[in-house]
Amino acid sequence: MSTVFYYAAIFTVSSMLVSMLSLSRSSSVRQSIPFFVSLAALLLSLTLTLFKMLNYLSAPSPIYTNLFHEDFLAYFFALTVLLVSLFVVLSSRNYMWGERNLAVYFSLLLFSTLGMVLLSFAADLLMIVVAWELMSIPTYVLAGLRKSDPFSNEASVKYFLLGAFSSGILLYAISLTYGLTGTTNLNAVLQNLQQLPNPLDPIAILMLALYIAGFGLKMSVVPFHMWIPDAYEGAPTTISAFLSAGTKKAGFVVAIRVFVVALPFLSVNWTTAFAILALATMTLGNIAALTQRSVSRMLAYSSIAQAGYLLIGFAVASGPAKTLGLIGVLFHVFNHAVMQSAAFLAVAAVDRAIGKVGLDSFASLWRRMPITALSLAVALLALAGIPPLNGFWSKLVLFTAAIQGDMAWLAVAAVLNSALSLGYYAWVIKRMYIDEPTGLGAQSKIREPTLISAVLLIATAITIVVGIYPSLIYDLAKAAVLAYQ
Amino acid sequence: MNEALPWLVWLLPIIGALLTPIFAKIGDKVRDYLAVLFSLASAVSAALLLLSNEVIHSTVEWIPSIGLQAGVLADQLSIIMANIVAWISFLIMVYSLGYMKGEPNLTRYWFFMNFFIGNMQLIVLSDNLLQLFFGWEGVGLCSYALIGFWHTDEKKYWVGTPVEEGGRRAWGREQAYSPSHAGMKAFITTRVGDSAFLIGLLILYTHSKTFSFTQLAEHTEWASSLASAGLLIPVTILIFGGAIGKSAQFPLQEWLPDAMAGPTAVSALIHAATMVKAGVFLVARIGPIFYTAAQAVNAAPLFFEAVAWVGAFTAFLAATQAVVGREIKKVLAYSTVSQIGYMMLALGAAGLVAEETAFASGFTAGFFHLMSHAVFKASLFMAAGALIHACGSKYLSDMGGLRKVMPITFFSMLLASASLAGVPPLSGFWSKDAVLASVLEAHTPYAPILFALSVATAMLTVFYTFRMLGLVFFGEKGKLGLEHKHGLHEEAEHHLGEAPKVMWLPYTILAVASLVIGLAGPFVETSLHNSLEHYLHEYGFEAAHKGFELNLAAVGGSLAALAVGLPLSYSIYIARRLDAAKIVNSSKLLRAIYIFLENRWYLNTLYYAIFVDGLLSFARIIWRGLEVSVIDRLGDATASASIIFSKAGNWFDRYIVDGFINGLAYINVRFSRLARILQTGVSQNYLLVFAVGVIVVLIILVLNPSLLLR
Repeated sequence: MSTVFYYAAIFTVSSMLVSMLSLSRSSSVRQSIPFFVSLAALLLSLTLTLFKMLNYLSAPSPIYTNLFHEDFLAYFFALTVLLVSLFVVLSSRNYMWGERNLAVYFSLLLFSTLGMVLLSFAADLLMIVVAWELMSIPTYVLAGLRKSDPFSNEASVKYFLLGAFSSGILLYAISLTYGLTGTTNLNAVLQNLQQLPNPLDPIAILMLALYIAGFGLKMSVVPFHMWIPDAYEGAPTTISAFLSAGTKKAGFVVAIRVFVVALPFLSVNWTTAFAILALATMTLGNIAALTQRSVSRMLAYSSIAQAGYLLIGFAVASGPAKTLGLIGVLFHVFNHAVMQSAAFLAVAAVDRAIGKVGLDSFASLWRRMPITALSLAVALLALAGIPPLNGFWSKLVLFTAAIQGDMAWLAVAAVLNSALSLGYYAWVIKRMYIDEPTGLGAQSKIREPTLISAVLLIATAITIVVGIYPSLIYDLAKAAVLAYQ
Repeated sequence: MNEALPWLVWLLPIIGALLTPIFAKIGDKVRDYLAVLFSLASAVSAALLLLSNEVIHSTVEWIPSIGLQAGVLADQLSIIMANIVAWISFLIMVYSLGYMKGEPNLTRYWFFMNFFIGNMQLIVLSDNLLQLFFGWEGVGLCSYALIGFWHTDEKKYWVGTPVEEGGRRAWGREQAYSPSHAGMKAFITTRVGDSAFLIGLLILYTHSKTFSFTQLAEHTEWASSLASAGLLIPVTILIFGGAIGKSAQFPLQEWLPDAMAGPTAVSALIHAATMVKAGVFLVARIGPIFYTAAQAVNAAPLFFEAVAWVGAFTAFLAATQAVVGREIKKVLAYSTVSQIGYMMLALGAAGLVAEETAFASGFTAGFFHLMSHAVFKASLFMAAGALIHACGSKYLSDMGGLRKVMPITFFSMLLASASLAGVPPLSGFWSKDAVLASVLEAHTPYAPILFALSVATAMLTVFYTFRMLGLVFFGEKGKLGLEHKHGLHEEAEHHLGEAPKVMWLPYTILAVASLVIGLAGPFVETSLHNSLEHYLHEYGFEAAHKGFELNLAAVGGSLAALAVGLPLSYSIYIARRLDAAKIVNSSKLLRAIYIFLENRWYLNTLYYAIFVDGLLSFARIIWRGLEVSVIDRLGDATASASIIFSKAGNWFDRYIVDGFINGLAYINVRFSRLARILQTGVSQNYLLVFAVGVIVVLIILVLNPSLLLR
């Protein structure tokens, strides 16, 4: 039986179970069991993914069906998003402790995770839409879970309005594809598009623009990024981590499937568009981050900037650097998922332990919450691309791809952006390690949330280990890309 | 065993650094001494390398799938450099035991010091450019952390003269910086160079498919491939950009004087003896490779011309600024920038020689000067730290007459200063002489200009060195008596007298070393020449064993500089027959020059105006113009919606689910406040941006500007 079926079974059963538990009268059942069930589901599916990956590496055996492609690319992304979900679920145990509707929270997380996993495998436009919505709709609710908090609501409403709009645009794009090719299967789309009499058909161009906009929302591509800072700031911080490290990555896997696989014949067009968008995204994200005075907003803009680096991989996807660019995208997707979730979850720990995430909370944090401060510092340095941390390597691959793809100007812009970004990352680190604490009681040590600390340590370990020995992930990414061609 | 030695040299300090927090748990003394011990262990490994005297190239797989290897390359160049770095580092670590005694947060101090040494040795011993870049970024990070070590930013730790202490403004800008500002400045400025370096590195890699030095030297096809793309010169200049940033050369020199805000031991280690030499080392590493590669494609040696000019100009620029320096450490910092300029000049001149066999002379000169400068400058900095400790002031004007009070410091500073000034027979004399000689050998029409610049610099060097000596050790006993009235330095610990042994021993050792190297000058230079020639031979250079010979013109130039500078400085600052202030104030022109120099040629101010203010206002314009205006309107649009939603949610909670009343009052206050801020708006705006975005993408796709951009 196909692997996708197992994933679907694991997640559907567990999230059904969890949501039924919300009806229980016992508060301990409502508080604890959903967490353990979610944890079990994630661990099970992670084991399954790792097992499949090992199998695949020893004997590549992609399975292509009409709806799903079970190849190494899919497993790679599944691994990434499952890891993020695991981090988020573990941290939620601390972060959301005592909140109401915990069972709902966990069941929605599981549904959304299933959506992401399905997206990693989806190879049919209709399946993509279904998975896309399965991933998105729960997150609209999750962003607004604190329903008595107006900011959480605002985040949710903004996110929902734009999300719904982008789904509409995506459907429109798919309908155009169907109109042009008469099919929704990606491989068939590819074949039929090749027989198009005029490759610069206006409808095809419109279709491309709509795809970019539709996926661009989740990928946080400028100018479709407007919702991000508000949503990340207003949503519960664990959900910000989930959105930034998880669902955004799913946006990238679909974009790879659709653009690189189904639409390469129009490549001259869309690669340039992606190059311009990459430039705009990284520059705007970094410059806006520079002026932020709130750590979560700063992280939101930094996450936008990181999407800009990722877009380089798409910008070179039609040239000689296609393979390297895609490897770079995959590598950076993995690294970014780890770094960004560590950064957001560290903020969540501060939020939970100190109660607010204003600037003062971070002053001299290393005395008060040493593990959190260290992990945040490492995550930020990794995001800034300082060697020997994982972020350096994936940026290096992406920038090299830009140069090989005859887009040296993009590489130059990216390197300068990367240098600029250190300005605001270092500022937070200085705040944590150098500035004296302000305010009363700001000297005292705080008990750090256990599970979040554990997650942070794991993420930090991955960041450093991959940084020192990058071929652990690089080789996986390479295998995924090579298997795909 | 030997294979492991180069690894140990850089890994030991890093391990020591990582263990520091653990040692700190045992006790402060344990932590301090073990930190020093780890640097000693690294130095011993380096010395063993020197004794074994063989080339060790050991590699391990790093990313096998792209053939990337990590490795260490211990050859003549890196072994000598590693020993300079290791032993000076060790002495400075010992000095730190005394200098940093009683400071809080010493765990952080020892961590970064050892981490720094490890990364510096990584730069030195790397067998490829990428790994070198790792160390490169690592030392930058340590430098940032250590400059800002006195993070409380109290005024007494500031660098420069704050306005309330009589400092001048330049273009309305205060010329004094807090340690954390200085740290950030250093970091960002060097990052500019690092970015250039990284881009150059990546372009080089795409053409050569390797980062390894030996591979680059063996297979020079990359040079023709780069040359045919018109990128050979840009790439070499970009990589040189990294060296410019790290070694504080023009136009990225401004960070180093302000980096003096850090503890003096840090200035001695990072900003005098080692890190700032990384740029010179990089040029020494890649220079021979570029030279042979450029020869292979018959390219003009533009790279070396750039290196020589940057070096000569920086040497002069910084020397003029040192002449008017008020703070002892800043004078030394300008002097460092200036002397590194000499090293660059020599390395640049090496590449401009008429025949290949002469390359080694300039190369040796640059490296010899690096070595002798590292020794005497580290000594000077440590002595300056002792002076600052004793006087409780960083200003030269607050010192004076210390000759009798601190005889050992005086003696060692006299030796080291004389070496800096190029007084025979100290090490500085021989090495500066070699630099001047290499300029004369350069086969370029500009050689006389370069030579004139460097002789002028030598003269200025003599002048400011003896000015410093005079102000500190001669004349009346400064303002020391007044100090307590000032109320500035109330700490009783500032007692006048000789520094503790743990402090004076290291800098006296180095000062004496400078003398010893000087006495054996010709011999040292010849043996350095021979082993570097051996090294260059590996890179395809023809060797021409030559004995030691003095270039009389160079000696003449350097003695002339001494003859002009010394009497002038002596009569003003040591004999005190002339009054400098009177001379300067007597003429408007001199006064204008003085202010121009004191304001660092206004370069610092100019950079702030353009890059700091410019970038920040650009960021603000973007932020206000693009993001806020849209977000605000989005906020308007969604405010109404979200209020409705949250009200609905509340209503639902309140009347249907469980009727929670607690907190509702609070929430209602929040709502009304929010509603006041975000009035109701039109939600179409929200989606308008999105729609505009789609149209923009569409336009890009239709216009297809790919041809323009490629």
